[in-house]
Order: sequence, then structure tokens, then C-alpha cells
Amino acid sequence: MNIEQQYMQKVRKQRIQWFVFIVVLLALTVWAAIGTNFNLFVLFSGLSEGFSFLFHDLLPPSPATLPSLLDAALDTICMSFVAMILGSIIAAVIAMFTAVTTTPFPRLRYFFRAATALLRNIPVLIWALILVSGFGLGNLVGTLSLLIVSIGMLVRCFAEALEEIDRGQLEALKATGASHLQMITSAVLPQFMPSFIGWSLFNLEINIRASTIVGMVGGGGLGFMIQSGIKLFQYKQVSMAIILVIVIVLATEWLTGRVRERLI
Amino acid sequence: MTLLQVEQLKKVYPDGTVGLKGISFELEAGEFVAVIGPSGAGKSTLLRCLNRMVESSSGTITLQGNTITKVKAKQLRAVRRKMGMIFQGYNLVARSTVLTNVLHGRLGYMNSLKGALGLFNKQDTELAKALLNKVGLSEQMYKRADELSGGQQQRVGIARALAQRPALILADEPIASLDPAASQTVMQTLYEACKADGIACLCNLHQVEVAKKFATRIIGIRAGEKVFDGAPEQLTDEMISYIYEGAKHEEAVGRKETA
Ligand SMILES: Nc1ncnc2c1ncn2[C@@H]1O[C@H](COP(=O)(O)OP(=O)(O)OP(=O)(O)O)[C@@H](O)[C@H]1O
Ligand SMILES: [Mg+2]
Repeated sequence: MNIEQQYMQKVRKQRIQWFVFIVVLLALTVWAAIGTNFNLFVLFSGLSEGFSFLFHDLLPPSPATLPSLLDAALDTICMSFVAMILGSIIAAVIAMFTAVTTTPFPRLRYFFRAATALLRNIPVLIWALILVSGFGLGNLVGTLSLLIVSIGMLVRCFAEALEEIDRGQLEALKATGASHLQMITSAVLPQFMPSFIGWSLFNLEINIRASTIVGMVGGGGLGFMIQSGIKLFQYKQVSMAIILVIVIVLATEWLTGRVRERLI
Repeated sequence: MTLLQVEQLKKVYPDGTVGLKGISFELEAGEFVAVIGPSGAGKSTLLRCLNRMVESSSGTITLQGNTITKVKAKQLRAVRRKMGMIFQGYNLVARSTVLTNVLHGRLGYMNSLKGALGLFNKQDTELAKALLNKVGLSEQMYKRADELSGGQQQRVGIARALAQRPALILADEPIASLDPAASQTVMQTLYEACKADGIACLCNLHQVEVAKKFATRIIGIRAGEKVFDGAPEQLTDEMISYIYEGAKHEEAVGRKETA
């Protein structure tokens, strides 16, 4: 068989593979749509009701409610910030035990890994529900649930960053007779700092978004105001709160972007 | 007294690769010994076994009369600080200053927490500055280590090793990544520093001419075994080809067998 024929055969095979792939994908989509009662007619009628709710009930937002919302907005910011600061410090320490490159107890690595996977893989909403039943409504629950999930996420990101550091630098310090702790602070931290700052700032953004969800189940802050506004049909207040959330999220993104540029 | 005594040192890596097949030699204070041999002969393995960065499988290492083959924790730190190490890739902490990198050589002498916090005392800082002066890098003291050229970085590496006030320096191909001019400066710096302070040096080298130029003694290693140990003048061309070509010959045979 010459090269020409081999090539044509390959092309034919690829075409068949594509065809099969698309058919399977279509079949799966249809099956999933039937399963979830999704159809275009329902979509459009739902959308039109959504629009009327949006324009008649929610909009325009009521600026008069703004002063009462600012307190809640500040709570949201504080909860997210505290969770980020505490979370990144705690996560950095745990990550040092988790990463192959830095752990003083290689055998315990998997234990730390599994424990933080648990924190991370239980959704923040569930943590909030569990904590509300223990601590009652309020900002403490919001902060705690954000903290737990922050640690879960950051340990993973930090550990991955730590595993990518240059081991030669560690080795050199080990060879001078440095202790493990000295190696961590003198050779690991300088390499780890950029990722530490980068991931922590990203975590702040995530916390701000998540804090609204957490607030809805009793974690305080703007989320709580949105939830209670919906219950009391105070839709103009709800829309004002949503706008505040969007403003805070955008402002955080902008701010973290600036800090990142400066520090890294 | 003999500075270092190595007896029947063997190393088998966990994957079964034999790194060293039982190497013995002695080292007197102030000797400058070049270790030569083909790639994969076990030169790096030998150096790393000496400061216990790699654990040897059997044999004994005696430093200044103390057997160090099995020491642990605090004693191991004390042993390591007596041996400075210099690496082919320099291995400086890239984002720290040149001065800090030299100060790292003092960590082995410090209380763990103090060292971890970087609380170096005045004498240490003075020593580090003096050493940077010695290797000709006073001007670069406050630059980030990765801003320096390769040759400069290696001289910082030498200063870091000297900061340990070592009895022995282990240099693993210190000039393999450098151009001829920088190689010359680095070897000269290393040689003079060792000579001035009576520090012994074991230096892995690829270039036989460099070995002949600086070494007071040459050790030839082939396939994990010591096949030559003598003065540079004794290293004949036949001996050189025996050290290097022997391996090539064996490799060629190996290739034929696997093919
Ligand atoms: N961590 C390791 N695990 C398994 N085998 C290893 C390891 N390190 C080295 N070896 C093997 O041990 C042998 C000796 O290696 P070593 O690095 O000491 O050689 P070398 O003489 O320094 O070579 P080069 O001149 O290329 O640096 C080689 O066959 C190498 O593949
Ligand atoms: Mg080597």
C-alpha cells in the first residue's frame, strides 16, 4: 500500500469517528432534555415570565434601601476577607505537609490530602446549613463556612504550586546543614510567594461570590438581605442588593488584578 | 590525621541501578582532588553519598576520625556543615539576594528557629560580605541571585560553601554549564579559596585538561569502580582512554546485546 492510500484510509477512519461522535452526542442531549422536561416552548414561556418579573417587580431598584444595605454589604466583604486571610495562612501550613517536596512526614501526606479533599468537596451551601444548625443565623456561620471551603480549595492549589518548586534550591540548603524549618523559610517561601499571593487573591473573589449563597441560608451579609427581601416581596430592595453584589464582585476583581500586578 | 576515609562504599539505587561498586580512598586536609570518569560512572553518586544527600547501601565514611555513615538529625546537620557543596546548576535561591544566599551557608550553625527567621548575627553578615569580596562580587551583593550571569552565580555558590567554614568542599561539575572564560575564573576562585584556608576539595570534572591543571591528585571512576588514583603526571593518555573508552566499549557491547 502506498502512502497516498494509507492517508486516504486514515482520513476515512477519522470521518467515521467524527460521525459516530456527533450522533452519540446528539442522542445524549435529547435523552437528557427529555429527562429534565426541557423543551423550547417551555423555555420561551418561562423566559417571558422571567422578563416581566425582572422589569415590573425587580426594576427599578430602590435607592432608598441603600443605607440599610450598606451594613450588610460591609458584612459580606468582611466575611470574605477574614475567610481569605485565615484560610490562606492555615492552608499554606497544611499544604507544606501535603506536598511531596516540603512534607516532613511523607507517610502522612495522604491523610492531609484526603482530609482537605473532604472540606473541598462538600459544597459551601451544605457547610452553611450544618453550621447554622450549630451556631444559629449570622455572620459567624458565613465566615466559618467560607473559611472551610477556602482551606479546601487553597490547600490543593498551594500543594500543586509547592510541588513545582525547584528542588535544587532545597537540596543546596539541606547540604549546608540547614534544618527542615530553615529550608522551608529560606528556600521554599521565596519560590512559593507569587503563587501564594495569586491564589489567595483569587480565593477572595470566590469568597465574595459564595458569600451571597451562604447568606441566603442564614450566613448573614447581602445574601441574607436578598433572601429576606424575596420572602417579604421587597423586590426593589432585592434588586438593589443584587446590584451591590455585582459592584462588589467587579470592584474586587479590579482590585485583586491591581494587587497582583504590583506584587508578582 | 586523615580528613576523610572512605571504605568499600557501595550504592544500589532502589530501582536496582548500581551506582557505586565498593570504592575506597583517603583524603588529607588541603588536597585538591579531581574525580573524572564517563557519564553515569557514579561521580555524583559518590559525592552525594559523602554528605549523605544519598544514603549509601554499605561501606563506611569517616570524617575527622568520626564514622558518619549512620549519624542522624542534629549530628547529621553538624556533619553536613563541615562539607560545602557546589552544584552544576548553582542551585541558588533565585529570588533572594546574593548576600542572603551566602548567609545560607551559616544556617547549619544556627538555632533552627533563628535561622528560619533569617536572624543572622553581625559576624555572619561580615563574614558573608568578606567572602563576596573574595570571589569578586561585592558590587552585586544586593542584587537578586537570578540577575547574575552563570559564572557569577557559581562564584556565589562558592561563597555560600565557604561561609560554612568547611573542612571539605564537594563540587559536582561546577563548570559544566559555563563557557571557557567563566570556567577558568570559577576554577581559579575555587582553587585559591581552598588553598588559602587549607580546605580539601573533591571536584567532579568532565574536562581532563582542567583536572590536570588544578588537581593535586586525580581519581578515575568507571562503572562505579575506582580505576585510577594518582598524581596528574601519572595520568597517561592510555589511562585516560581506559577510563573513558572502556565504558564506550562496554556500552557498544551492551547495545549489540539488546539490539
Ligand atoms: N536517583 C537515582 N535512581 C536510580 N538510578 C540513579 C539515580 N541517580 C543516579 N542513578 C544511576 O546511577 C549511575 C551513576 O549515576 P551518577 O549520576 O552518579 O553518574 P555521574 O558519573 O555523575 O554521571 P554524569 O557525568 O552524567 O553526571 C547511573 O547509571 C545513573 O543512571
Ligand atoms: Mg553527575
